Amino acid sequence: MQAVRFNPALWFNAGLDWLDERVGIRELVATLLHVVIPRSAHTYYLGGITLFLFGSQAVTGILLSLYYQPTPESAYNSILYIMNELNFGWLIRSVHAWGANLMIIFCILHLLRVVIQGAYKAPREITWMAGMGLLFVTLGFGFTGYLLPWDQRAYWATTVGTEIAAAVPLIGVNIRDFMRGGADVSALTLSRFLGVHMLILPAALIGLLLVHLFIIHQQGLADPHATEEK
Amino acid sequence: MNDANKKDAASQPKGLLPFWPHYVLSELIAWYVILGVLVTLSAILPAGLEDKANPLLTPEHVKPEWYFLSVYQFLKVAAVFSFLGAEAPRLLGVLIPGILLALLFFLPFLDRGPKRPARQRPWMLALVVIVLLVVIALTIWGQYS
Ligand code: HEM
Repeated sequence: MQAVRFNPALWFNAGLDWLDERVGIRELVATLLHVVIPRSAHTYYLGGITLFLFGSQAVTGILLSLYYQPTPESAYNSILYIMNELNFGWLIRSVHAWGANLMIIFCILHLLRVVIQGAYKAPREITWMAGMGLLFVTLGFGFTGYLLPWDQRAYWATTVGTEIAAAVPLIGVNIRDFMRGGADVSALTLSRFLGVHMLILPAALIGLLLVHLFIIHQQGLADPHATEEK
Repeated sequence: MNDANKKDAASQPKGLLPFWPHYVLSELIAWYVILGVLVTLSAILPAGLEDKANPLLTPEHVKPEWYFLSVYQFLKVAAVFSFLGAEAPRLLGVLIPGILLALLFFLPFLDRGPKRPARQRPWMLALVVIVLLVVIALTIWGQYS
């Protein structure tokens, strides 16, 4: 009998075999990875970078949620604690704040490259509309997240931001009050912004992303030089 | 990269690049660079915090985040529509950006031309440049007003 030695590659393969017998994992991975893309398709990695930034936001956001306290009385102090006392708290919060801005920038750059290369054209309408949904969700993350530290800038930016909605004809004031949970920005606003920021928007983003990436996988990336599709 | 993969890459039809491992590797390098950018920016300019919120004390320069500034500024600029009636500025101030966003949402159905290369769609390039310039101008204007 052969001596049992530490051989990660062998172990990895054995694990894969085990999974393969049960769920056909090799075929699945092959379907996902063994695709080709046109050499002339220059994505500049913008969509992927946006995806990476979302991953970074998820990790840093979950870490922040362990110490953040979502009430007007304690939110501000919990942020002070994260910034000044918690080990590397300042770094996690700063990466989350910068990541939010970068995610919006890269999302817009990604949109611009899709427009300039004409990659939105048929048959990629659904990818495009899911992308627009992703853009709105990303902006929603920024809008709701900005209130959470409950400092002067947060409070008043949310006040003027929700006031924009009041300009919508007929139901504007209702939309504004619905967003605020009342006539003013208050404890209720903080609760619903947190719920939207931590539950609704992440679920929406993941759902839209699955549609976005599934269709991209099925169709392949657009070839900028080809006018006609299969 | 092992030999099997090399053969794979060489046997692809001309003009096609294998997603794995070629594209994935470049993508991972890009992620690594962005991670460096994130940490560097955070170290140089950590996230700030102003005084605790005070609903009774309106600060002097209240502004939304930079990515909403252009719409916010447009809403203010829309005052020029007052010659259309008292309600016109507020109405057009939200309606016009709203309609433009809706048009953008349905772009693939509005632009049905089959050509993709940017050089063969000069009007679209011009439109992109104009929209970008207007949005950037409104954002800067909003920042300094
Ligand atoms: C959270 C935001 C988003 C993420 C994570 C994301 C992710 C991706 C990824 C990874 C790709 C593969 C190619 C590439 O990297 O460029 C892609 C392609 C694409 N995206 Fe997005 N995207 C987002 C937002 C958007 C937006 C705002 C639009 C436009 C409205 C859009 C439209 C498209 C289209 C049309 C393609 C296919 C391009 C082609 O076939 O060449 N996406 N997206």
